[in-house]
Amino acid sequence: MNILICIKQVPDMESKFKINGEGNWYDRADLAWRMNEYDEYAVEQAVRLKEQVKDADLTVLCIGPDQVTETMKKALAMGCDRGVHIADADSYKREPIEIASMIASFAKDKNFDVIFTGMQSQDRGSAQVGVMVAELLGIAAVTTIVGFAYDNGTINVKRELEGGSKALVTTTTPVVLTCQLGLNTPRYPTLPNIMKAKKKELLTLAADAGSVGSRQETAAFYFPEKKGGGIVLEGDAAELADKLIHLLKEKTGVLA
Amino acid sequence: MEFTREIYWNVGHGFTTLAPMYGLLLVALAVFALGFLKRIKVYRLGQPLDRTEQRGERIKHMLENVLLQTKVARVPGAGTAHALFFWSFVVLFIGTSLIVAQADFTDLLFDVKFLKGTFYQLFSLTLDLAGLVAVVMLGALLTRRYLIRPEGLVTKTDDALMHGLLFAILLTGFLIEGARMAVTEMGTPLAGWSPVGLAVAKMLGGLDEAGLRSLHAGLWWLHLVLALGFIAVIPYSKFRHIVTTSANAFLADRGPTGKLTTVNLEDETIEKFGASELSDLRWKDIFDADACTLCKRCQDRCPAFNTGKPLSPMQLVNQIGEVAFANPQANLIETIGRDAIWACTTCRACQDICPASIEHVNKIIELRRNLVLMEGEFPGDEVMAAMEQTEVNGNPLGMGYASRGDWAEALGVKPLADDPEVDVLYFVGCYASFDKRNIAVAKSFVKLCQAAGVKIGILGKEEKCCGEPMRKMGNEYLYQTLAMETVELIKGYGVKKIVTTCPHCFNTLNKDYRDFDFEVEVVPYAVFLEQLVASGQLALKPEAFACTYHDSCYLGRHNDIYDAPRALIRAAGGRISEMAQNRDQAFCCSAGGGRIMAEENIGERINVKRVEMAIATGAEQLLSNCPFCLTMFEDGVKGANAEEQLRPKDIAEILAERV
Repeated sequence: MNILICIKQVPDMESKFKINGEGNWYDRADLAWRMNEYDEYAVEQAVRLKEQVKDADLTVLCIGPDQVTETMKKALAMGCDRGVHIADADSYKREPIEIASMIASFAKDKNFDVIFTGMQSQDRGSAQVGVMVAELLGIAAVTTIVGFAYDNGTINVKRELEGGSKALVTTTTPVVLTCQLGLNTPRYPTLPNIMKAKKKELLTLAADAGSVGSRQETAAFYFPEKKGGGIVLEGDAAELADKLIHLLKEKTGVLA
Repeated sequence: MEFTREIYWNVGHGFTTLAPMYGLLLVALAVFALGFLKRIKVYRLGQPLDRTEQRGERIKHMLENVLLQTKVARVPGAGTAHALFFWSFVVLFIGTSLIVAQADFTDLLFDVKFLKGTFYQLFSLTLDLAGLVAVVMLGALLTRRYLIRPEGLVTKTDDALMHGLLFAILLTGFLIEGARMAVTEMGTPLAGWSPVGLAVAKMLGGLDEAGLRSLHAGLWWLHLVLALGFIAVIPYSKFRHIVTTSANAFLADRGPTGKLTTVNLEDETIEKFGASELSDLRWKDIFDADACTLCKRCQDRCPAFNTGKPLSPMQLVNQIGEVAFANPQANLIETIGRDAIWACTTCRACQDICPASIEHVNKIIELRRNLVLMEGEFPGDEVMAAMEQTEVNGNPLGMGYASRGDWAEALGVKPLADDPEVDVLYFVGCYASFDKRNIAVAKSFVKLCQAAGVKIGILGKEEKCCGEPMRKMGNEYLYQTLAMETVELIKGYGVKKIVTTCPHCFNTLNKDYRDFDFEVEVVPYAVFLEQLVASGQLALKPEAFACTYHDSCYLGRHNDIYDAPRALIRAAGGRISEMAQNRDQAFCCSAGGGRIMAEENIGERINVKRVEMAIATGAEQLLSNCPFCLTMFEDGVKGANAEEQLRPKDIAEILAERV
């Protein structure tokens, strides 16, 4: 079984974000980097699938500047067999279709049975790359999966829908699956696997988006306007009740 | 008349006495040696470890612990009784040896007798009283074990054997003496020098001489067989502690206190990390089980055990022993249980009090290392998340690393990257950098340094967790990554002196980092400030207040710093009402051993229990010296519904209010 896992390196969301000089994305300074949370579920599911079927080869793919290989090493330590780094220092500017095209141009002649990826990235959050890859490769896609079972060529997944309802989908390979929170708990790499990961193949390829070019432009990039925050009332119970009633009368219509 | 007595009176000094006597002695010694040779084979199942360096110190430590019973006598009651029993038994042993020396050596070969005259009088009195003390102490210990039955004391058939055999030896000894005296010493001035023997002799007064002589001869042989039986049975019973516990005082870890072994992660031939099987442990870990006397002092002090968690340090050590001697292939982690392994706070209360020099903590760390490094297992998802946060942001709280130095911006304290010319580097630690409550402590410390005219700098966003909680949780790899980065960073700035407000950082930088060619002086803030106050460089305006003080495990038991913090509190005007468990007996706050990252899901909450001890002193403030303790106590006062009653504070805050 031939499996591809597409991951992205994203800033830790606790970082101090600043807007970059071009005014079209965040500045890279002072950021801590990690694997996109949803992609971690993708890696974990792929490794579990390999543990189940035994005979499988896992390729982890990541697009971005050289530093993304640090994040790829974690995927290799978790159990991926080889890494493909598509070098692109400007990946942050790319639209989802460009990213999807780069992945598709790599994957098109590799006969991947399953392609796992996150349902979206934590930074751009377009949630488009996975489905676009499937479209470009002409294969099926099932998005936002929170359950996965493989049995002899048949894949049963559980999808998360709006409003908390779930859908059960049965599909066959080849297929693209985008992973959502709740699918699994990603493992912590063991030390022997961290050591082995250092020796695994990690190829760096030039970016190739084919004929697809950018069609969008970021017009502006800004922090949300600061709105009034919450109010913390202090004092004893009687005092608090008076203050609360006063506020409800003043600022809301609930007591009207 | 010359004061003396006939040795071998009534039993004779001929071949028919000596041949069976020495024959039996040889048998006893052979059985003894065979027993230990068998056990040594089992100890050797463990990994090699050299515990023979610093030989002089080791011998001194052993003599102190064995002959003076220093550690045993630390606990009054049973400890005192054991020490007195031991000393009296040693006196009896020396007495018997002197008799053998005279009768079968000096007198036999050179016609020299020294058991006579005044020396014999004193010899007789000393042995008589030693026998009495031994009987009384044995009686006290027997009463404790079989009638009082302290909670948690494990009593096995071994204990019955020990008490029975020792009693029989002492009792037959007195009866022999009494029978002999009844025949030879009644009415002589010598009789008074054996008061107990005399009393026994009087009790035997009803027998005629023939009766006394046959009673004496029979008991003499019984006493001999019992005494030799005692020697023979040592390796096969709990008596073995006479040898193993004494030897363990020689083999004890010679520190630095609480420093863990650094795994060589560069060595690619190592395929297994930590311990899951007996053969992964060191031989000393197996030997420890044999040195354990089941005195339960560790268990009595263990914060995990005393709050209903499935960890007893005593049980854990003995489980390793049981595996070693009964089932060496067994999986140690399954045998001991994960919940027990994760429950340890590495507070060292067990190891500190152990009279047998057993090293409990590093065994637990080895088991944790196996779980983390080989299985990727943690006590909970929250701990795994904290590990990942530390990998990404350099702190287990998951705060963005770049804001690590923000708290200091308005205080005029700069990162070394901006101004490396400082008197000391303040290694802030994660909690004082990010946790709101502990930032107040960091600010107080800065205020104190500034008041004393000490220029401090911080590492700011370059600082990362020292790695202590991760290391204690078993994540040696993450610890070493953090440690090596920090060592390089600090060395790069040419720092001469480091001060910490976190005793975990202090202990790690000052001991664990020494394995990474790190030589910078590291001082905990309590000691640093105490020196500034003592020298007058830091002037305080004392204001009277009442408080109790909690010794953190890592300043206290791990580093023996008990007085400097108390001196600071007094200098600030504080009157300390000590908790019952203070100084080296202090009860952990719950957050050591990486438990700061873990939820406490089993049993009562340790921090609430400690807060309740503080409340019992009647003090209004609970002072401590550690960010983990402060965090736990802030939480603990809520848990104990005592927010109005007791305010947890750090010493630095109290001092900063008084400059």
